This record gives sequence, structure tokens and C-alpha cells, in this order.
Amino acid sequence: MKLNKTKIGLIAILVAIILAIGLFGSGCVSGMAPIGWSGGTVANDILYVGSNEGRLVALNLADDSRQWSDKLKVAAQTGLFGCSASSFGCGTGTSNVVIYGTPVVSGDLVYIAGYNGKIYAYKTENLNTQRWVYPRDSYLEPFVGGLVIAQGKLFIGCSDGKVYSFDAVTGDKIAEFKTGDKIWGTPTVDGDTLYIGSFDKKLYALSTDTLKLKWEYAAEGSIISTPLVNEGIVYFGSFDRNLYAVGAADGSLKWKFMAKSWFWAQPQIVDGTVYAGCLDGFVYALKAGTGEKIADFNLGSAVSSQPVIVNNYIVFASSKGIIYKIDTGTRQITQLADLKMNVDGPLAAYQGIIYIHPQGLILQRVNIDTGAVLPDISLQS
Amino acid sequence: MNIWNLIIQQPLINIMIVMSHYLGGNFGVAIIFLTVIINLILYPLTMSQIKSSRKMQDLQPKLAELQKKFAKDKQKLAQEQMKLYKESGVKPAGCALTMIIQMPVWIALYQAIMLALAAAPEGLLNLARYLYPWHVVYSALPLSRDFITMDLAQPNMILALLVGASMWLQQKMSTPPSSDPRQAQQATMMLWMMPMLFAFMALSFPSGLSLYWVTSSVFRIVLQYRTTGWGGLRKQAPPAADEGKKRLKFDAGQDKKSAGETSADVIVTDSGPSKKTMNPYKPAKFRFLPGKNKDQGNPKK
Repeated sequence: MKLNKTKIGLIAILVAIILAIGLFGSGCVSGMAPIGWSGGTVANDILYVGSNEGRLVALNLADDSRQWSDKLKVAAQTGLFGCSASSFGCGTGTSNVVIYGTPVVSGDLVYIAGYNGKIYAYKTENLNTQRWVYPRDSYLEPFVGGLVIAQGKLFIGCSDGKVYSFDAVTGDKIAEFKTGDKIWGTPTVDGDTLYIGSFDKKLYALSTDTLKLKWEYAAEGSIISTPLVNEGIVYFGSFDRNLYAVGAADGSLKWKFMAKSWFWAQPQIVDGTVYAGCLDGFVYALKAGTGEKIADFNLGSAVSSQPVIVNNYIVFASSKGIIYKIDTGTRQITQLADLKMNVDGPLAAYQGIIYIHPQGLILQRVNIDTGAVLPDISLQS
Repeated sequence: MNIWNLIIQQPLINIMIVMSHYLGGNFGVAIIFLTVIINLILYPLTMSQIKSSRKMQDLQPKLAELQKKFAKDKQKLAQEQMKLYKESGVKPAGCALTMIIQMPVWIALYQAIMLALAAAPEGLLNLARYLYPWHVVYSALPLSRDFITMDLAQPNMILALLVGASMWLQQKMSTPPSSDPRQAQQATMMLWMMPMLFAFMALSFPSGLSLYWVTSSVFRIVLQYRTTGWGGLRKQAPPAADEGKKRLKFDAGQDKKSAGETSADVIVTDSGPSKKTMNPYKPAKFRFLPGKNKDQGNPKK
């Protein structure tokens, strides 16, 4: 009996160990831990990007010199192993603030918002000089979408479901607007109207002065994609697999186009053609006026990263890290490079070079003309 | 997408999303519902495990006797034990085998919950790969993570405690009281180790997973209760089925080595014990005294 009890005990311990390894070994389950996908923005020959170390990095494109901000402050972790949804760095073995939004430069300040629920404004001349931080002592819910600076104000949507506006210089809060669910998208400002989508399946048009509601459009799925406003029409994608075109003035539906999966990235428009990347792995080219499909391009894997327009090309990245350029005149697609890395964040372009921030502490560069992959730049401090 | 994802994870995730949609958009209720369904599917296996473990409990006195009898001959002991198992229809590896068979299902369910919760933005992106082209699936996402007052994507202390408590209760019910101090110590260690391990893990994992663990434990507690009653919780109490029967103290006399080793309760009934019953207190077929052969120890002969 003792032998069997011992055997059973050992088996039970083994099962427990296997289970524990299974749980931890699955990387806290793929996609459970936030990693970040901040894109880059270029101003005055300097590219700003949020690194996976939780720092704002300024890369001088002339000489590749870099400057780092202090690490963004981490909110209290809730999980013992750092594996909870709100904790940071599970899978990377660090405890860094995750950054999804792309930095924005306005005047002598550069702004960034973190998954820790704080917004930071740094002096562009010295990233160690913080102009302001909001909230100063506490934390809001995580920021996933990017921010926008317009009319001297900073606009941002938060996971607490609110749209905020701040004085861009002082960081004082001006107004807020509550939607029905989380906001993970980036707002778009056109004139005196701000457009933003929410998980509550609605696109909101708000007054930039007071964030008062002008109109709202109810889709059938949540909205993460950043709206694109062009010639009085707002284009945005939804989780209901539709790309919508609604009137910017009143939110009336112009047309909608259904694909096979979610539209996550912001669409782009060139010469009356809307180019929209979809998580079904296709880029759809649609007539801006009617939504009629002109062409589609198979990129092989989900397209979640925001494309960039360079001259007469529109450049897309697939989630598996393959970079394509589509000639907007001939609608010919060309594979530029295969980075063999996950790419989810927005692309940036400067002087014929595409800057890609894949998962990891590097910045990849691809020449748009030749497709040559240039030496990567470390973002590690 | 690999085979595992295609035939296990993807269907589970989509079913869970659909269930969540039709259960008022409440993902917590969907987790409970799906856990119960999965447990019902695994019911035959679970029952086989519980019955097998009950048979093992019933064999304990006989195994203890064998150990004493063949204390110095391990090979003979092993042979006799195997013979006894064979005669009684018990498969010692059965319990562990059943657990191992169930493990992939638990892991799949765990992964499906975590993927469907899509706590991080990367998780939501990843989730898109698993979705069937059903309108209801697309319109239901992202799922609401609120359940009662909890965020299912965050660890929850109360649920972690419930994980530990329910697991302890279930294990306590299935663990027989042991007269051997060493066995009792081992059993106590196991009784506390697993619940503590899972409670500890629950403090770090999203409470959606804890909800699944608690539901599973409660399901097994109910099954255990229906099969064996309160089991180990009624430590020295006789089996409920024997209540009302007369009990006589049987003294082994000169062969007695110690009171705990050789004294036994003999149940006297009018109808006599069933041949199929593996009751440890049943003297007719199994009980015999140390140092004597089987027939000598049988008080009915």
C-alpha cells in the first residue's frame, strides 16, 4: 500500500508540475501579456519612438545617435509572477511600461502615452526634462491608442472609455467625454471635430472645444481603427468586418464594404482610392466614392500595422514582417523585404527609408526603392 | 494553424464566444457553463477515476495486511499486491491515467479562456486568427471582462482562496483516513500541497481561469458526494450504508500484536454482505489474521 500511495503521490506531484509548466510555459498564453508596438514619428531629422524598455527614444537620423528618456513609471503589479493582464513584461522577463501609441511632436515638446495610464510631455531638446505628466500621482486606465495635438490641445482616448482633452503646453485637463466602453483607437481631428471609435461599436464625432457630442454612428462591431477624414467623408474599419464611409457632417452612411476579418489599421486614401489593410491578410483598394472594390492584394498574413505613403507608393507590412509596396498608379504590388519578425505597429518613412518597430528592442530600416534591409538600430539604453 | 489549434482551441474559443453572446454577454457565466459541459463530457472518465479510487480505498486493509505479511519479501509483496488488484478488478495506474487523459482538455480550456479574454492588445489581435466567419462571433467581440464585481482578466484574491478551498474540499473527500502515520503524513501533504499550489497560481493568473478551476472543483465535489458521500470529511465514521447495523468488537487474542493492527469491526447483518461489495469491514472474504492463513482468519468459517 505504501508503495502505491507513494506512486500516486509522485504521479500527482508530476501532474502538478506538468500543469504548472504548461501554464507558465505557454508564455502566459500567447498574446496574454502586453508587449507594445509604438510606431515612430520624425521631426527635425529626429525619429521618436517608444521602446519596449518603456522609454521614449530620440534617434538622430543623421548620425544614428540616440537619446533616451527615463523609464516610464510602472504602476503596481497585481500578479505574483507578473503574468496578469495589467502587468508588464510577462514573457519578456522585465517590468517595463508598455507603449503602444506613437509619440507626437508639437513645438518643442514630444508627447507619449503609456499602458501605465499616464501621459508624458518631454522637451525635445532633452528627453530627461519632463514638461508635464498626467495624472501626476495616480494612474488612469491603460492607453493603447495614440494621441493627437491640434489647436493647442492634446486629445486622447483611454481604456476607461473616456476621450480627454488637455492643454498641450501645461497638461491641464480641459474636458472629457465618456463613451460606452474602452477606447483603444487613436482619434482624428479635422477642423473643429474630433472622430474616435470605441469598443461600444460607435464612432463619435465630438467638438474639439468642449468634447460635446455632435453625432454618433453605430456600427455592428467594436472600432479600433483610426478614422480617416477626406473630402467630407470619414472612413473607418470595424470588428464587424466592414469598412465604413460616413458623412463627416452628420454621420450618415455612404457605403460599407465587408471583408473576411477585422479592419484594425487606419485606411489610407490616394487619388480617390481607399487602401485598407485587413486582418484577413488582404489589402483592399476601393473607390472612395462608392466603396466598389478595385483590387485586392494578398499579403499572406494579417495586416494590423498602419501603412505609410511615400511618393507614389503605399507601403504595408504584414504581421509576419513582410514589407510590400503598392504602386498607387499601376496598382502593382512588390515585396520589398522579409524581416521575419512580428510587425503590428505603424510604419514611418523619412527620405526614402521605411522605419519599422517590430517586437524587440530594435528599429528596422528598409530602403523603399531597392528593398534593401539596412542595419538595424538598437533601442536598448 | 497547427492541429491542436484547429481541432481543439478554435472550436472551444468560438463556442465560448457564442455562449457568452447568448448568455447576456457575460463571459463569466460562459466560462462556468462551458466548464460544466466539458465536465459532463468527461463524466465517464471522472466517474471511472472516482470509482477506481474508491476501490483502492476499500482494498487498503488488505494491502496493509499483505505489507505486514510480506514485509521482508518485496518481490512476493509486489506479486501479491498485483494478484489482489487483478482479483478485485482495480487498475492502480487507472487514476493517474484518467488524470493524464483529462489534462489536455483542461489545458485547452485554459488556453481558450485566456485567448478569448484577450486581455492585452496583442491578445485581441491574436484572437482574430481563431474566429469562425460567423456574424455573431464578430459582433460579440471583444468580450466583456466584468463578472459580478471582478475583472476576469485580473487576479482576484477571493477567487484564489475559493480555488484553494474547493480543491482542498474535493481532495479531502476523496482521501481516505489512514491508520499508518506515514501514509497519513503523505496524504496530508498532498491534501495541502495541491490546493496551495493552485491558490498561489490563481493569485497571479486572470480570475477567469480561477473561475474555471473553482467550477471544476465544485463539479467534482458534487460527483464525489453522489458517489462516496462526504468521504474523507467523515474521518472515523462508518459508511452511511452500514448505519443501523450491529457491530461487535473482535479480539484477535494471542496473535494480537497491537490493538490497532489486529482488532476489527465485524458487521453482522441478516442478509449477509454482497459478493460484489468491496467493503473494508467485510470479514467474509477478505479479513484474516496476521500469522494465520486466510481461512483461519475468517470468522464465518
